[in-house]
Amino acid sequence: MSLSERVKQTEFLGREFLTWLWYQSETREGVFDLGDLGTVEVWFEGKMTLESGGEERGDRVTCSGSTRLREARFALTKGKQVMQAAVRLLKGNDEWAFSLDAAWLNLSSLKTPRVMQDAREDPDGLFYERMFLLEQPIEVVNALFARFVVLRVSPEWQSDELPALEEWIGEGA
Amino acid sequence: MGFLQGSVTCTRFLAPGDPGEDFRERARERIPKYAFRRLPEDSDRERSVGWVNILDEFQSGFFGDEFFKEPYLALSLRVDTRSVPARALRQYCREAEEEVKAREDLEFLPTKKREEIRDAVRSRLLRRAIPRSGTYDMAWDLQRGLVLFGSANTRICDEFSEIFFNTFELRLTSLYPYALAYDVLQEQGTNPGLLDEIRPIGSPEEETT
Repeated sequence: MSLSERVKQTEFLGREFLTWLWYQSETREGVFDLGDLGTVEVWFEGKMTLESGGEERGDRVTCSGSTRLREARFALTKGKQVMQAAVRLLKGNDEWAFSLDAAWLNLSSLKTPRVMQDAREDPDGLFYERMFLLEQPIEVVNALFARFVVLRVSPEWQSDELPALEEWIGEGA
Repeated sequence: MGFLQGSVTCTRFLAPGDPGEDFRERARERIPKYAFRRLPEDSDRERSVGWVNILDEFQSGFFGDEFFKEPYLALSLRVDTRSVPARALRQYCREAEEEVKAREDLEFLPTKKREEIRDAVRSRLLRRAIPRSGTYDMAWDLQRGLVLFGSANTRICDEFSEIFFNTFELRLTSLYPYALAYDVLQEQGTNPGLLDEIRPIGSPEEETT
């Protein structure tokens, strides 16, 4: 199977992850304890794109602004899943904002906390500080995705998590 | 915007594990070979792609180990593109066709002749066009094999993968949810084959175990 075929056939994993992450964020007031990475807050806000899976692919809805999240919740009840979402991440006093996509789990338009190093005085220092700030949200997304994957292949997915997720989706009607 | 300022868009790749003992020496030799070179002013070449210093997009001469920033190897990919606006091309082509028709006393030009005129006009205009320039940062964590690249554009990512292979003789692997999930399960000692058994939520074949 070619890479593009494999990506297409398994892209539901990314869509389900974003949908699950939104559900988790809403039901636990954004707080996730990620062990060694510490406690973080993850919030879905702003622009979100949803699309139907399977044969109805292409039927896309884009919602933007916090009040429009209700519209996005309603789209979930119609079988749509999250394709791309604007995410806000808080860790300690630091805050990141980025867009996360389901197909590749790429972070785009990533805004990091303000840097302390000066580009003219210490360009290498700036490089290291920015790399640290770029890698932090990637590690958080990786940790959240790992949590989802382990749950997704476990028996608990069918017995507990999926019914709870479907109930939450149903509340958006 | 690059990794050092403003907002960032990242695509992640995996490079094969240990790049080998003589890797650093080879990198010192090969990075300058694939360094960025400006499009010659008297040519109609449309695209030039090559490495520049991540701290200075105008510096494509590498004289030391400036790209080694432990544990990273950090560079920028500079892409210069020259193009002719479609409207200008149409106008100049029409004028050139009229000239040929008048000179050769023709009422119509054959398709082949029109194509020749179009190619010649395009080549002439390309030589006058000022290139557009873009830079895309790359940071390769040599210890973890993780490569961050500052674009999600498919064409740019393909060009990046190609020049990365040419420079370092290593093939990059795209990271995507299934591949990430596979690694997660493998690291946890869970059978990654379980991934092939799950079906999308709501699909008729969704597992019932």
